[in-house]
Amino acid sequence: MEPLILALGWIGLYAPLALGAVGSMIGCARAGSAACGALLEVESGYGRYIGVAAMPSSQTIYGIVVTMALRRDLTLENSPGIFGLGLLAGLAMLYGAIAQGNASAASINVSKSKLEVFGISLAPAALVEGFSVFAFVFALVLAAGIPK
Amino acid sequence: MADPYITLVSSLPYLPPFEKAERSPITRLRLEQRLHDLEPGDARQLALAEVLASWRMSLAKPKTDKEMVLRYRAGMQEITQPALREFLEFRMDQKTILSGLRQRNVVFESSFIEQVHGGSRWVNFIASHWDHPDFGLAAVYPWIPEARSFLEANDARGLDRLIMGVIWQRLSRIAESNIFGFEAVFAFFFKWDILQAWLARDAEKAKSRFQELIKEVKNDS
Repeated sequence: MEPLILALGWIGLYAPLALGAVGSMIGCARAGSAACGALLEVESGYGRYIGVAAMPSSQTIYGIVVTMALRRDLTLENSPGIFGLGLLAGLAMLYGAIAQGNASAASINVSKSKLEVFGISLAPAALVEGFSVFAFVFALVLAAGIPK
Repeated sequence: MADPYITLVSSLPYLPPFEKAERSPITRLRLEQRLHDLEPGDARQLALAEVLASWRMSLAKPKTDKEMVLRYRAGMQEITQPALREFLEFRMDQKTILSGLRQRNVVFESSFIEQVHGGSRWVNFIASHWDHPDFGLAAVYPWIPEARSFLEANDARGLDRLIMGVIWQRLSRIAESNIFGFEAVFAFFFKWDILQAWLARDAEKAKSRFQELIKEVKNDS
């Protein structure tokens, strides 16, 4: 039983980074594909679209920070907490990055035809970012309560 | 996990409402180049659907309702994409209703059934409501009363504008159902087709088309 609990602790420790990175890969790929399509249609402002396509990469950074905050010697006392916190924070990052990729792709798709909506079309992606930040910040706050 | 047509859809230009458009935002050649990104199966579905639902006049267009239904039935056997099938069924329903409205004062319902049998699901319903002004279908298709009034006034342009508008709205809804999927691609294609047809409506082109038809009739006889 003890090795299993410790293994769960390791999973929880790496989950924020790994799941955040998986989400960022999917999100950036989707938004990046949309950006590449838009580049065929627009005459200028290419950097704008590529920049938006990079938005879902932030979840990986949050995942790195949460993993670092959770990092400690794993024991039977702290492994369950690390597993729960790390896994749920990772899932939040994973889904947040995918959702942000979808929102960014939609934003790129509409703003290539109507540049004046570029800013406002980013609002859904920014909202998703806000929820990711909530998950990130509270993961850090709660990590402080896990025994060293 | 990624949508297969996310790049393709993003590379397609904005299509203005067909009535307000002054020029086509993309040429046929450029559109075909972009459509090379379609999966082979989807490309074939679109090619088959184009024959059945393209608005633009072509010499290959069926000359009679019977021919139209035969072509529709043959084509639908190979169309498997659900949203595309639904759209083609909608177009067939529309064509059948318009055919009924045009012929009501000329032929009996039995003759109408004979011509369009096997096409739209509404054929028997229309025949059983032959004397009703809107075939009893106005609740399902709210555009029928307006279409009937355009037909009675011999306003072909108004009728085309109405029907194109109805199809345009339908295609917009289809595209919204899957903004980076095949639905969005074929919706764009048929909207572009409508826009092209609307832009092609000028006197000179109509004259040359008329001359083409005359030539065709002469060659047939």
